[in-house]
Amino acid sequence: MVMAINFNQVGFTYQPNTPFATPGLHDVSFNIPEGQFTAVIGHTGSGKSTMVQNLDGLVLPTTGTVTIGKQVVTAETKLKELNEVRSHIGLVFQFPEAQLFEQTVLKDVMFGPKNFGASEEVAKASAEVALEKVGIAHELYERSPFELSGGQMRRVAIAGVIAMAPDLLILDEPTAGLDPKGQQELMQLFTDLQKEKQLTVVLITHQMEYVAQYADHVVVFEHGTVVKEGSPADIFADEAWLREKQLDVPAAKQFADALAQKGVQLHDVLDIDQLADQLAAQLKGEVNHV
Amino acid sequence: MFSNMIIGRYMPGNSWIHRLDARTKLVLSIAFIFVIFFANNVIGYVIATLFTLFAIMLTGLGVGVFIRGVRPLILLMLITTLLQLFFVQTGDVLVHWWFIKITTDGVINSIVVFVRFMLIIMFSTILTLTTQPLAVADGMESLLKPFKKLGLPVSELALMLSIALRFVPTLMDEAQSIMNAQRARGVRFNEGGLMTRIKSFVPLLIPLFVNAIKRAIELGDAMEARGYRGGDQRTKYRVLTWHMQDTIAVIGFIIFTVVLIATRWMM
Repeated sequence: MVMAINFNQVGFTYQPNTPFATPGLHDVSFNIPEGQFTAVIGHTGSGKSTMVQNLDGLVLPTTGTVTIGKQVVTAETKLKELNEVRSHIGLVFQFPEAQLFEQTVLKDVMFGPKNFGASEEVAKASAEVALEKVGIAHELYERSPFELSGGQMRRVAIAGVIAMAPDLLILDEPTAGLDPKGQQELMQLFTDLQKEKQLTVVLITHQMEYVAQYADHVVVFEHGTVVKEGSPADIFADEAWLREKQLDVPAAKQFADALAQKGVQLHDVLDIDQLADQLAAQLKGEVNHV
Repeated sequence: MFSNMIIGRYMPGNSWIHRLDARTKLVLSIAFIFVIFFANNVIGYVIATLFTLFAIMLTGLGVGVFIRGVRPLILLMLITTLLQLFFVQTGDVLVHWWFIKITTDGVINSIVVFVRFMLIIMFSTILTLTTQPLAVADGMESLLKPFKKLGLPVSELALMLSIALRFVPTLMDEAQSIMNAQRARGVRFNEGGLMTRIKSFVPLLIPLFVNAIKRAIELGDAMEARGYRGGDQRTKYRVLTWHMQDTIAVIGFIIFTVVLIATRWMM
């Protein structure tokens, strides 16, 4: 299924027509290319999570249009029409462990596929595959999800989304509050999934390292609207501009810039691998000169 | 989900009513419910309506806000009104068609019930719209103090009340985000027959309860770590003070009550 996404002049207001109306988004226009890894950044309260709700058809835009694959969503769209498109979208919310409720881990993971019409056997099979992928041991399948540790709960919740075999995977700060090893493992899982199934992935994150390392495309939010869109190299080129938006460049680029000031010339360094490669090349070069 | 409910929400402002002591507003709101029953003729209800409108004007929020607030309850009000209309069988018969008999007493009673309902809701909405929930809790605690001598654990009740009030918006947000997460997993809230609908709320309620219990444990630990050991020996940070305007409000209300009682003998 084609899963490119386009936001065209989208505006969204919470509780419209009441005294409590608060604007969430305004004039939001951007693209999420199909089969690529898109990162969404912006400081807290810039509208990223509101955008996610529009992206999954959980709420309707107040103005403008959202195109999800072939489905066009406007303020007039019936929410029921969106059930079909939602079955192709996997959405991992912030702290997804809060959504677990079934008696056993396995049942909870089967819940999503079953809701979208899979038979008991099919749901069970895809649940087992998903649990395997996130690294939950077989012995835990029949346990209550509430007996697990926080990290395991997070994995089970993510498995519940992966089991739906989505074409589009939206991740809203999936690694928040995990230890470094857990963060690394999850990010690896998401990139592997993306490569293996050519998924369209949207990652909302505050960690610029992930953006530099994994993203093909970056969207920058500020004050409820998109202020920049482009490749990671484009976005990280203007450090002063990012600082002004309360964002930053990845540590590897900061280090490369500091080296550049002392006369070491490096080009387009975004992540630590690129940094190491270029430094190694230069050091070897100097050794050869001597 | 609850986006249009105005009842029970606070709207910031700095009007004369906003600045009144929470105790004044609490007592007067409760007193109003009793006082309204003294009205038994048109003049009485006109006075009560004018008094309510005057109080609403003093909040500086506009009548529109209050009318929108009443809207969710309109169905309930109509049902009670219609019950009065159809089941009160005394007085002169106005309409008699098949088994339906509408009488003059029925019409009068239904109007009376409707107006009382409306005024009571409007008047109590003034309290919630202009008083911060925590101030309401403080006011309650202060008003319940005399019952301490009867063994009522007033400070514990006040603590529970203020914690409950503090967590209403948090739990609402959490309910909304769990609901979104389950909808993303294919749950269809508000679709299908009664049983399907009830079942669809299980994936919302269980996580909500589990998270509330977790939160309670964490909050209890955090309170103990900060030296909380029960209510009696505590000092207060927010101190309620009685001002001149509270006296004026109470006197105004007493005058209103006297006038309302007087109307009973005018007709």
